[in-house]
Amino acid sequence: MLHDFLTSPVIHGALIPAGLIAVVTASMSVMILAHRLSFLTVGISHASLAGMGLAVTLSLPLLPTATIISCILAVLLAWVPKSDGISEDTGTGLLFAGSMALGIVLLSQVSQSDVNLFSLLFGDILTVNPDEYRWLAFIAVLILLLLLVFGRRWWSIAFDPVTAAAAGLPVGALRILLYATVGMTVMMCVKLAGIVLTTGMLVLPAATAWFWGHSLRMLWVISMLVALTGTYIGLYISYVQDWPSGATVVLMLCCMFILSWGISWIKKEHGKKRLGQA
Amino acid sequence: MKTVNKVLEAQHLELRLAGRTVLEDVSLSLECGHFMGIVGPNGAGKSSLISLIVGLHTLSRGEIYLFGAKLTKRNRASLLRRVGYLHQLRGHQEHLPMRVENVVAMGLSRWSLPLWQSVGGKKAIAEALDKVDMLAMRTHDFRELSGGQVQRVRLARALVHQPELLLLDEPAAALDSKQQQQLYVLLRGLCDDHGVAIIMVEHDIAAITSHVDSVACLNQYIHFHAMRGEQIPEDVWHNMYGQNVHVIAHDAACIGCG
Repeated sequence: MLHDFLTSPVIHGALIPAGLIAVVTASMSVMILAHRLSFLTVGISHASLAGMGLAVTLSLPLLPTATIISCILAVLLAWVPKSDGISEDTGTGLLFAGSMALGIVLLSQVSQSDVNLFSLLFGDILTVNPDEYRWLAFIAVLILLLLLVFGRRWWSIAFDPVTAAAAGLPVGALRILLYATVGMTVMMCVKLAGIVLTTGMLVLPAATAWFWGHSLRMLWVISMLVALTGTYIGLYISYVQDWPSGATVVLMLCCMFILSWGISWIKKEHGKKRLGQA
Repeated sequence: MKTVNKVLEAQHLELRLAGRTVLEDVSLSLECGHFMGIVGPNGAGKSSLISLIVGLHTLSRGEIYLFGAKLTKRNRASLLRRVGYLHQLRGHQEHLPMRVENVVAMGLSRWSLPLWQSVGGKKAIAEALDKVDMLAMRTHDFRELSGGQVQRVRLARALVHQPELLLLDEPAAALDSKQQQQLYVLLRGLCDDHGVAIIMVEHDIAAITSHVDSVACLNQYIHFHAMRGEQIPEDVWHNMYGQNVHVIAHDAACIGCG
């Protein structure tokens, strides 16, 4: 069965892009959790429908156009709430509903063969064409580079923005860059997990790592291991059971999260008991 | 040996926030090894003054000189590398999983390097934690510390890059009275032995007077700046806190009480 899985041409083509997406989303999920941006990822992933609608309507390349529009929307969200006194979750909610509606209207005007709404909503890793492959690889490298260079600074802003600003860090600019990077990551992830399940890919790996890691580097490594394991086991199960790939991967990640939660709870209770006996 | 050196010079600072004047014509000057306390009622602009010095607000008027250089947007980052700053934590719930030593490491200037380079500074981190008596807990989870321990670790973070100027906003807030006294003794030692200049905002004037070199009474503007052994006139107190204040002398060595 495993041999069939690995030699199946469809799966074979998906293994590397899926791994790439797992590494990138897992890395960014650490920052998304640290800055509490899960709702932003929901907002942008839905807003990406508008980007795709626009790309299809104007016959622009799908992924690059949608990525750029996601970045712009994310950056808008980074500074609009502050300047006009709208709270960030209100802003995200507005954007979420408005741009999704726009996307649906735009997509309803094009023929069914141009765009498969179902694959946009639920992800379709098994149909990555060479152009998209190159684009995904380019975005992945860019995101990882940004994360390596700015990771520590983003981390210290998440920890204590006031002290970071007082140490001379350009907190506002760094935050805008982070939001733009989240926008890019979301678009990348939409290809694998789809709009509906993107949040899972961008939250669950780090949420699982949160139980075990105690430093930025450790969290990053654990989060990547979780995402890769979940992705490959999920893909395998989806192949064997003929389940949708994106949903299966996210279900796997959920299982790993719940398992980690359980183990860390038992460990804590055990520790308490030992402390009580001592 | 202490060399007399201007660390901070603030001239005619004015700060307006949302149309309200928070600070007006505040001038300060601080030399190496000088320990200054700032007291004043709630909302007097004490916290605003020190966050103004680290550039968290934009000055409406006036000039700030740090280590002899005028503070501008361009040189801000490099000048602030020589400053340690501790702000008040208001309703902050820590959620990042970090060890105590990693929190302190964030105070090092090498922290901003890309992730493929190591931060190092193990010795400096250990020394800073030792100063605040938290070395034994360096591998503990920061989220599980008590309020007083959190405050001491934050202070270690402010000290780890060996700043020449320390700006502290109610650093003793979460500490018990014994720990408060230990903290003041530690700060006094930094001034005397390492020539660090310190500005400390504190609402409890009685607790700090035997440790500091001078006390500035601030309420929108500086009402009085008393040196050690000098008495703060009663009308200054009344202007700052209202007519119902009675100053009671409790210690011959203390500033302001005579």
